[in-house]
Amino acid sequence: MTFELISNLVGAFFTLCIFSFLYKDNPLYQMAEQLLVGLSVGYSLVLTYHRVFIPYVYQPIMIRHQFVLIIPFLIGVLYLTRLIPKYSWLSRYPIAFSVMGVGSSFALSLHTAILVQMRQAMVPLETINLTLIFVGTLTVLLYFFFSKAHTGTYGKFVNVGKWYMMIGFGASFGLTVMARVSLLIGRIQFLVIDVMGLMK
Amino acid sequence: MKFFKRMQELDRRWIYMIIALAIIIPLVIPFDSDNLTTPPTENLYQMIDSFAGREDRAILMSFAHDASTMPELFPMEVAILRHCFERNIKVFTFSNSALGAPIIDYAINTVKDEYPHIESGVHYCNFGFKPNLFAMVIGMGDNIATTMNVDAEGRKVETLPIMRGITNYTEMNLVVEFSGSVAGGTWIVYARPKFGLNVAVGVTAVMAADQYPYLQSGQLIGMLSGLKGAAEYEKMVDIFAKNNQSFSREKLNDPSVREMIRITTQQVASFSPDEFAKFLDKYPQHQGLLEQYKVDRDGKVEINWTQIPPEHAEQLGFFAMDELQRQANHIKYAFKTARVGMNAQSVAHIVMILFIVVGNLGYFAQKLSEKK
Repeated sequence: MTFELISNLVGAFFTLCIFSFLYKDNPLYQMAEQLLVGLSVGYSLVLTYHRVFIPYVYQPIMIRHQFVLIIPFLIGVLYLTRLIPKYSWLSRYPIAFSVMGVGSSFALSLHTAILVQMRQAMVPLETINLTLIFVGTLTVLLYFFFSKAHTGTYGKFVNVGKWYMMIGFGASFGLTVMARVSLLIGRIQFLVIDVMGLMK
Repeated sequence: MKFFKRMQELDRRWIYMIIALAIIIPLVIPFDSDNLTTPPTENLYQMIDSFAGREDRAILMSFAHDASTMPELFPMEVAILRHCFERNIKVFTFSNSALGAPIIDYAINTVKDEYPHIESGVHYCNFGFKPNLFAMVIGMGDNIATTMNVDAEGRKVETLPIMRGITNYTEMNLVVEFSGSVAGGTWIVYARPKFGLNVAVGVTAVMAADQYPYLQSGQLIGMLSGLKGAAEYEKMVDIFAKNNQSFSREKLNDPSVREMIRITTQQVASFSPDEFAKFLDKYPQHQGLLEQYKVDRDGKVEINWTQIPPEHAEQLGFFAMDELQRQANHIKYAFKTARVGMNAQSVAHIVMILFIVVGNLGYFAQKLSEKK
């Protein structure tokens, strides 16, 4: 048996285990599910040790004697105190450093997610698409302005925003269905083409 | 009325069964269909293609996903890698997720099987798993070689031939991030405003709707959304890159391209006498063998490559067989996965729409009978 055949058979077995949930919950499904979680964690742990701990901690400190790196290393280790309830408060220190990262990205995020989007909403209404985007932006924003009752002409106007959102949710739902079917297609392609070799 | 009542009470497992059949049958019995290309895919294709043959240009592919989203994202990655290998475009790959690293190897090996002349470190470079995306994104804006330091094979990046003419984002001017969640976020926030890097994404269909504002505002230069995006890209690679041509809208809309994008097995390589003479000149040692399988038809020379037995195929070698398959416009399965998948997707959608229509009719019929 070649390695490829063995790996395909193992993959096929666990794929069928997962699919068996469609009939009803069963021990084979649970075994496959738990194995997936365990494997992912185990694999990530080993890879993190070899690709992160060794080149970024062990080698600089032990081989190149960059002892200053011991400080961030120890701060990082404080994350592990989450496992000891009595000292779990110490894990807030590395979290504080992470939050600093969030703060540093604030200005650029503001530029990307708000300023550029606003600029693009303030262009001359030369095409139907741009007009639709303008009307949509305005009505959806007004829909979430709750200090004024949605009644009368104003209510009808903001109701357009609701329709915009409904269309958006419909598009998202359609794309979600497409994505889920794609996942099923991927698994069935694996079973009928890679494992059973029904098509070249 | 009885039919609708029975449909309303149908066990969900029958529905699963019907959907499964709607997917399996088009996969096993493929049919030729077309996927109309959309501007987000075309823009990305043209941007990548503009780097063809240039020593001072490269793209970076960021594999920010694990195996759970592979059915949608993997065909995109294979299609883009194939585009790069066909058009001699330098490509770098990396992943900030430990579980994304093996997918890079899998994608490269899938494509490399068909391009034996492609070399690691010369035509492409895999940086492998690199933690701390933020530091990488900022660092590469200054110097790629010092930021990445070593590639996945442990070689010093600065010593690799691929790095000739490549220093930072000025040269590696496009990043394509593949993700099952928020794609391209870090690149758009940090690398685009600061370094002017072009960013594109390949996302699962679920996430596509969230990415459109960035596309519309020009922060993303292109986007591949789900299996459909992958199928569109595969099609363009078959029409243009495979024939070493640049993108052209006229050609894309020309009915003659239908022959190039057939996803069913294409068996006959058809040559004009001149083309066949040139083909024989390339492989003089196999002239006898090729003459054995040729058939003259309507002034053309034809060879059915599927009729060449494995031992003779092995004798002819990879390059001669590959050329025969190219001449026949045959597409290998790995390079049409998304399009075969889209066939199944179309059939499944029709079945689902029927279920929705029947379900709704049944609901209203039930309401009507309750009123009576």
